[in-house]
Amino acid sequence: MHEMAIAASLVDSVLAAARRHDAIKVESVELEIGVLQLVVPEALELAFTVASAGTLADGATLKTVEVPAAARCRACDCRYEPAINDYVCPQCGQADAELVAGNEIVLKNVVCQVSDGAAK
Amino acid sequence: MKVKVVESVLKANDALARENRRRVDAAGVLVLNLMSAPGSGKTTLLERTIPALGAEYPAGVLVGDLQTTRDAERLGVLGVPAIQINTGKGCHLDAAQVAAGLDSLALAGMAFLFIENVGNMVCPAGFDLGEHLRVALLSVPEGDDKVAKYPTLFQPADVVLLTKVDLLGVLDYDGGRVRDDLAKLNTRAPLMEMSAKTGQGFDQWLAWLHQRWRDRHAGAAGGGRTAEQAGCA
Repeated sequence: MHEMAIAASLVDSVLAAARRHDAIKVESVELEIGVLQLVVPEALELAFTVASAGTLADGATLKTVEVPAAARCRACDCRYEPAINDYVCPQCGQADAELVAGNEIVLKNVVCQVSDGAAK
Repeated sequence: MKVKVVESVLKANDALARENRRRVDAAGVLVLNLMSAPGSGKTTLLERTIPALGAEYPAGVLVGDLQTTRDAERLGVLGVPAIQINTGKGCHLDAAQVAAGLDSLALAGMAFLFIENVGNMVCPAGFDLGEHLRVALLSVPEGDDKVAKYPTLFQPADVVLLTKVDLLGVLDYDGGRVRDDLAKLNTRAPLMEMSAKTGQGFDQWLAWLHQRWRDRHAGAAGGGRTAEQAGCA
C-alpha cells in the first residue's frame, strides 16, 4: 500500500541523479529493498511507471533486489539473521533486536542516455 | 552511462524525521507514535490518558486519518491542542506531514506529544516521524493472531497495549497466543492489558509514561532501554 509513496520518492532520487549527469533519458534503475519493508515488487513497478510518467525516467525499467534482515541483540550483542516472525537471539534467547538491515530502500544504479545518444 | 548512486530513497523522509526530533528535543517534548489497526482504541486511549496526565504533564496530539476531523474534535474537547492531519489517499503519516503539524503546535511547555497514526498495521511502521517511542495497540475483538500476522508493527514497539480486555469474557480469545507470538518478536516491550471502559491497566500505562518521561529528562531518551538489559543469559 505504501508503494506509491516510495515510488514518488524514488523518482525524485532518480531524476536528481540523471540531472547531475546531464542525462536525456533514464533507461533502467536498480533498487535494493529490505525484506522488512514488505514492498510488493510488482506493485512498486506499477507505481514507478505512474510516478515517472512524463519525466526523464518515463519508460525506464525497474530492477529490485531484496536485502535480507540483519539484527543485533541488545542483550548480548550477538549478530544474526532474524526471520520476519522470529527474532529470538540464537545465543541468549531474548527477542530484543536492533535491526541493522532489512528496512532500507537504496537506489544503487541508474542507467541513462547522455546527449550523444548512447547508453553505456 | 551507468551512474552509481547508493542513496536511501527514504532519505527525504528520514532527514525530515531527524529535524522533527531535533525540534521536539529542543522543546523537551517526549513524542510517542501510536500505531494499530483502525478501531483498536487509539483515540479512546488518549481520551483517558490525557486527563490522567493532567496539568503536570501537558499533552498535545497530532492525529492522522484519511478523512474527517472527528478524532481531533474528540480530543480537542479535552482542552489540549489536537491537530488533525488528513492524508487523503495516504495510508500512513510521513515526516513532512508531522513537520507541518509541529508548525501548528505550541511545543513550549508540552510534556508529551502523541501522534495517532492512520489506522493501518503495515505502512506506518516503515516511516520514521521523529518519534522517541513506538506504541503498538491491538484490541481483543481483532483476534488473537494479530501479533503473528503483522510482525513489522510489533517487533520495533516499545510497548504493546492489548485493549478492550473487558470483552475477554464474551469472546473466545487466547491471550497466551498473543504472549507467545510476542515472545518471538519482542521481549523488550511490556504487554499491558487495558480497558478504557473499566480503567484496567491505566495505572501501569501511566506509570510507564511517567518513567519514560523521567528517563528522557535524565538524558536517556530513545528506545526505552534500561540498564538491567545488559548481559547475556
